[in-house]
Amino acid sequence: MKLMDFVVPEAILPDLPVSSKEAAIREMVTALRNCGSIAPEHEDSVVTAVLKREELGSTGIGNGVAVPHTKHPSVDNLVATVALARNGVDFASLDGEAVHILFLLVSPPDRPGDHLRGLESISRHLRNQNFCSFLKQSGSVKEIVDLLNEADNDQLD
Amino acid sequence: MNEISVCRQTVTVELENGLHLVPCSRIAQEASRFDCEVQVCKDDLIVDAKTILELMTLNAEFGSTLVLEARGDDANQAIRRLVRLFETRFEDEAIGDG
Repeated sequence: MKLMDFVVPEAILPDLPVSSKEAAIREMVTALRNCGSIAPEHEDSVVTAVLKREELGSTGIGNGVAVPHTKHPSVDNLVATVALARNGVDFASLDGEAVHILFLLVSPPDRPGDHLRGLESISRHLRNQNFCSFLKQSGSVKEIVDLLNEADNDQLD
Repeated sequence: MNEISVCRQTVTVELENGLHLVPCSRIAQEASRFDCEVQVCKDDLIVDAKTILELMTLNAEFGSTLVLEARGDDANQAIRRLVRLFETRFEDEAIGDG
C-alpha cells in the first residue's frame, strides 16, 4: 500500500501549533472533517476513540514520531493525515522525546488488513532517515505531498 | 572455545487484527530486556525484534507464520519469553484496537 493511497492531501497540517497530545489529535481529526473525510457528526466520537486508544499505550513510538489511530465505523476506507509540530508535542512517547512527526489513521473496523498495511507503509518510510529529515524540513502541503509521492516511488534512497 | 547460543522457533499470529502496534510494542519491550540479538522473520523479511518500527513493517496478519531467532547468551530465555507472548495471544490484553 502506498502512502498516497490513504493520506488525504487536503488534511495535511504542515505547521501544527499545539503542544499537547489531545490538542494535536483534535486538530488532525478536524482537518479530516474539514475536507470531508470524516462526517461532522462523527468528529467528536473519532477524537474520543483515538484518545481512548492512547490509554492502551502511547503511539509515540520514539524518534520524534507518533501514529495515533483508531478503528471507527464512520469511515468506509482507511484515511490518514500528516502533521508536523515544529515545537514538539508531549506525547508520553516510549523514549520520552517530544513528537515532531504525526500520522493519524482512521480505519473501518471490518478491515484490519488495511490498517496493518497502512501502518506497514508508514513504518517502512519512517525507518528511512532521509524521509524523516526531509519531512521535518517540509514547509508546505505541496512539499509534503511531493515527498510522500517520492517515497511511494522509492526515489529517496 | 565458547559457542554462541542460538535459538529459533516458529510461531503463528493468532491475533484477529494481526500484529498491530500494541503487540509490536510488547515484543520490542520484552525483547529489549535480553542482551541477545533477536530477529523476527516473515518470508524473506528479517527485522530487529527490539525496534517497533521494524516490527510494524512485517505486515503480519492473522495466520501469518513468523520465525523468532535469537543469538547470544540469553537467547533461550528470550525466545521462551517471546513464544509465550504468542501462545497466550499477548496475554489477551486489550488488543482489539491498535
